[in-house]
Amino acid sequence: MGMENVIELRGVSKALKAFTIDNMNLQIKQGYVTGFIGANGAGKSTTMKLIMNLLQPDKGKVSVFGLDYANHEKTIKDRIGFVYDSNIFYESLNLKDISRIVAPAYKHWDDKQFKFYVKQFELPLNKAIKKFSKGMQMKASIAIALSHDAELIIMDEPTAGLDPTSRRELLDIFQEVMVDGKRTILFSTHITSDLERIADYIVLIDEGQILFDKPVYELQEQYAIVKGSTELLDADTEAYFIKIERSPNGFQALTKDVAKVKEVFGEHAVIEEASLEEIMFYMKGADHPYD
Amino acid sequence: MFNLIKKDIIIQKTQLLLFIPLIIFLVFFAQNLSPILIFLLASTFISANAYVYDALTESNILLNSLPYTRKKIVASRYLGAIVYMIISIALAGGVLYLTGYGYEMMDMAIAVGLFFIFAAFAFPLFYILKPAYIGVAVLIGTIVLALGFQPASRFFMEHMTVITDFLVSTSTTTLYLIGAATSIGLYLISWMISQFIYQRKVF
Repeated sequence: MGMENVIELRGVSKALKAFTIDNMNLQIKQGYVTGFIGANGAGKSTTMKLIMNLLQPDKGKVSVFGLDYANHEKTIKDRIGFVYDSNIFYESLNLKDISRIVAPAYKHWDDKQFKFYVKQFELPLNKAIKKFSKGMQMKASIAIALSHDAELIIMDEPTAGLDPTSRRELLDIFQEVMVDGKRTILFSTHITSDLERIADYIVLIDEGQILFDKPVYELQEQYAIVKGSTELLDADTEAYFIKIERSPNGFQALTKDVAKVKEVFGEHAVIEEASLEEIMFYMKGADHPYD
Repeated sequence: MFNLIKKDIIIQKTQLLLFIPLIIFLVFFAQNLSPILIFLLASTFISANAYVYDALTESNILLNSLPYTRKKIVASRYLGAIVYMIISIALAGGVLYLTGYGYEMMDMAIAVGLFFIFAAFAFPLFYILKPAYIGVAVLIGTIVLALGFQPASRFFMEHMTVITDFLVSTSTTTLYLIGAATSIGLYLISWMISQFIYQRKVF
């Protein structure tokens, strides 16, 4: 595998009770922020767990930093910082005790760095985690993830359940953390607006399948929402759209070939930039998702 | 490994404060208890307690996201249990000595043997059972042990003449060796089984 991929899933299949991933291929590029989007239950957490080796694939290969878990589990995890959507720390403990448990596990734990984030996030060291607000729990988790010089930060819905103010605050923190450009961040969320500011790449998953994996600028350049009269639609023109919604007033559709649509429809249709949320919405149950 | 073992102390700091009072309570309020039972309860206290914490899915996600392998996590549980067993029995011995509760070294040795057997059966069960049931299982186990231990040992002494004859006819050293080998053997087998279960566990 090329060094530019920090995470690589090749032909990964996993059957769980209520959910199946079949032959998934995914590459996460080094040095970038990748947003991992999809509806609740689309398979984001399962994929994250496969990447963290909390689940092992039935078939296929997962490699992180070009290494496999069978032989390099410790090395891999030493270089990963993780943040999950709910608190995973012993909730009766305070942050000081939790850092006592976590710190010795890492080769490069930096207590100064940890204290710095604790101060920056205004976290109490002597209060039980269960008495933390959801936002504080997330910040605690982030402080730990950032205090051992991790090259890869994996965050599963870190903004879930947060109020808009705390969400904004967290996004600011992420943005700061990414400034040095050395780190790779994989960030799953179902709130796509979180990503519009910070993501370089977007991976969209639905029903356990990766629908696309593209740089944000490409999405902005190629995808668009097209609105117009249904008279514009016929067998030929429908092929330009990923999904079409018809109503008595006309149609609204997602295209991934904005140049072609402009050329064919010209002034007859309204072409608007598609938000991630719109792309996600139209891609779900798309007529031709992979074209 | 050492870090994982030390972790058990950090997560139950407050419960540990109850440890010595618990032994004193047993000494004064349950005067007919065999010292073996006191040693056994003391030896399982820390590990059983740690299990209740670590049975939570969240704790498993934490430990498995840190740079530890599943093998190490199970190994630290089995080795840690021995470390805590030794410390606890020593402490309990101290408390019993200070309170003038009579006991012999043999009581300690039997308790250690029973500890290995008890842990050998309980630990893999903890990995199979759902977290919510573990607290209940520990409670029931403790009650059964407390209520059933003395009648059971009396029953064995009186009725199992085959066993007692064997015990009487065999030299003490051989008995100790057989007992030690059996209990440690069970413990090692249990370790393998737990490792097998934990490798395949889904969080």
